[in-house]
Amino acid sequence: MSTIAPSTAGYAVDVVESTDGRMVLSMGPQHPSTHGVLQVITEIEGEIVTKASPEIGYLHTGIEKSAENLFWSQASTVIERMDYLSPLTNALCYYLAVEKLLGIDGQIPERAQQIRVLLSELSRIASHCVWLGTGGIDLGALTGFFYAFDLRERILDLFEASGGARMHPNYLRVGGLAQDLPKGFLDKLDGVIAMYEPRMRDLRGLLQKNPILQDRMIDVGILEAEDAVAWGMTGPILRAAGIAYDVRKAFPYSGYDRYEFDVPTRTEGDAYARFLVRLDEMDEAMRIIRQVRKELDTPGNWQMTDTKFAPPPKETIALSMEALIHHFKLVSESFRVPAGDVYQAVEGPRGELGYYVVSNGDNRPWRVRTRPPSMYNLQVLKKIALGELIADMVVMIGSLDPVFGEVDR
Amino acid sequence: MPSSQTPPPGSTAVDPTAVRPTIADARILRVTPDALIATLRELKAQGFSQLTDIGGVDYLEREPRFDVVYHLLALPTRESSIGDVGAPARVRVLCGVDVDQEVPTAVALWPAADWAEREVFDLFGIRFQDHPDMRRIQMPDDWEGYPLRKDYPLRGPASERTPRPSFALKSNVAAGTPASGRAAAALQKQLLEARSREVKTAAEAGRTAQTGVHPGASVTAGDASAKELAERPVNLNTKDNA
Amino acid sequence: MALGSGGDFLLTTVDSVARWAQSSSVWPLTMGLACCAIEMMTATAPEYDIARLGSEVFRASPRQADLMIVSGRVSKKMGPIVKRLYDQMADPKWVISMGACASSGGVFDNYAIIQGVDTVIPVDVYVPGCPPTPDGLLYAVNLIQQQIKQGGRGGILARA
Repeated sequence: MSTIAPSTAGYAVDVVESTDGRMVLSMGPQHPSTHGVLQVITEIEGEIVTKASPEIGYLHTGIEKSAENLFWSQASTVIERMDYLSPLTNALCYYLAVEKLLGIDGQIPERAQQIRVLLSELSRIASHCVWLGTGGIDLGALTGFFYAFDLRERILDLFEASGGARMHPNYLRVGGLAQDLPKGFLDKLDGVIAMYEPRMRDLRGLLQKNPILQDRMIDVGILEAEDAVAWGMTGPILRAAGIAYDVRKAFPYSGYDRYEFDVPTRTEGDAYARFLVRLDEMDEAMRIIRQVRKELDTPGNWQMTDTKFAPPPKETIALSMEALIHHFKLVSESFRVPAGDVYQAVEGPRGELGYYVVSNGDNRPWRVRTRPPSMYNLQVLKKIALGELIADMVVMIGSLDPVFGEVDR
Repeated sequence: MPSSQTPPPGSTAVDPTAVRPTIADARILRVTPDALIATLRELKAQGFSQLTDIGGVDYLEREPRFDVVYHLLALPTRESSIGDVGAPARVRVLCGVDVDQEVPTAVALWPAADWAEREVFDLFGIRFQDHPDMRRIQMPDDWEGYPLRKDYPLRGPASERTPRPSFALKSNVAAGTPASGRAAAALQKQLLEARSREVKTAAEAGRTAQTGVHPGASVTAGDASAKELAERPVNLNTKDNA
Repeated sequence: MALGSGGDFLLTTVDSVARWAQSSSVWPLTMGLACCAIEMMTATAPEYDIARLGSEVFRASPRQADLMIVSGRVSKKMGPIVKRLYDQMADPKWVISMGACASSGGVFDNYAIIQGVDTVIPVDVYVPGCPPTPDGLLYAVNLIQQQIKQGGRGGILARA
């Protein structure tokens, strides 16, 4: 029996008492396979884990407090940096919540919604590329990393073209987008769509039927449906346990109900099932992208025309006094959002990403509470690691796919 | 002087949850901490099988000061297809909590509540009774203060402020390695050529009459010494150097 | 290990050869914290390929690495750990502060983030950006290589 206490230094553990053959191993916070700054204090007996307690907070950034001190449109810059593998998803969920509070959620132009869907699905594929590449590296499968990150590069090219930055493009605004897609974007997008199929064939060929990967992932970290629900799982982990809950289907947003796509589900609930679910999710995301691509050929408004929230087009500022005043007001003191609270959820790559946004009528958010899927996903490690080998800890953390910007915020 | 960024008086709500517009995002219930566990148990029995999130909000001027918000979702607990899952119902339970008031823990109902309650304690200071591991989760264990409270400064109390980065205190002159030896050499060469050109044209100009000299012009060629001319700042952005 | 700082005339050629060898195989420590870590991983991916500059492997153990790339925001909880890892690295060692958060706190001027990792450890090269493109990181590694060739070590400021 060991009693562990966190030491006052905050990063070491003190073994207060140890009376049998168990060893306390502190894995992290700097560790090649913990996918970020995670410390797992494991008690092991031989090779079997008898207790695993993840310690988080090493990346706590005070994003929610920062957002309370920024204007509504500025807050998305810090909010994007939570789930840094799919920044646009964070911004989209936040803006959907703000648009609900403003009452303009029914007035977002169609083209803006289509582009939002397009970039969300591209974010999903890019995020899963990182998961796939780094998950493979954890197991020693280094080649998949190069293939996956090359696909991700082409997608980051698209983000850079539209929003200006590869990660954290800050392309969304209240009421639509910051600007329309640039010339040549659709050709680049066609290139990505064309390269996707052969690349996924390569990746699946490298990994899916690989006997070593199957040996390491099958029957590891099993989480059944009932436990998954009780521990707050959503996203690929819940779907790998058999429950087909997808926020895009259950509570459609941004026009997702117009597109045809399936929600891949497995029943085994182990790491291999989550692996297959995420690969299938990438295919479904590309299916949605193909449908959106056809719609993007028709031009349209990319921003609401109501200049109370959206700055007027730059060309009109020199010609119209009203446009100038609106622009000045929006930049210097932003718009006000009526008092109230709202919970908005989207389907992020890790599960249900939710924002509980509270406004007191001011031009700054009163509270932005994130429902972080990664934090709840990571918490279940306490349960699924029990009785597993210490060597499988890395596989389990990879299959939970945590992003610490979101866990710690 | 009133700032344009301060909202006009009387326009902000002390209790936004009481004046929210009609948004159909969830059924909303408000309870006191005494009735909390009974309500949550009742809702769980009605089919709200998942605790999606527990969050805290600090309404500084309201009685009770804090809200602990429980978001529940009615998911099926065994294998189900999209059709079976449908559009699960959401419910939001708002529990008003005073400073120093304790809230019973929901860990017995949903194990997911563990870390969420620790985070509410860490950032707001609201303790949960009978929690198995009531300690800080995000901040270091010896941190003092509850950061997300509205009276906690954004940059933290003075004792927690870290120094600014060292390069912010140094002058730019000390910084910078030239891009490459060849670029630095080429720049030097350009400078020398430009200076010799300037000295030559200044010497020629000094021989002609001085007409139309702009009051802001630098010292004329006739008055300046060669040394001063050589040390004058050189503009490389002329058409000779383009 | 101070190379040639005493100016031993007979060994200057050996010094320069040794410095050239050192600069051609700078092995970074895996100090990936946040978003910049993803761009650091991308710098090892085929499009940017940091391995062609000599950083063939990223070592997880600080004892085996000579370059610490602090990539991401350093929280107050993580600060002592970064310091501990820096102390565990063997001399000679260099530090790249990658990104705005590691260099100066970035967008996060608040209670939780250390306003610049150079208040904790000495930094050789700062890379601006949020996150910087992998090109920026490669340029920073180039500057480190130049510093090594010139005989420099921790504390020299340079901008990438």
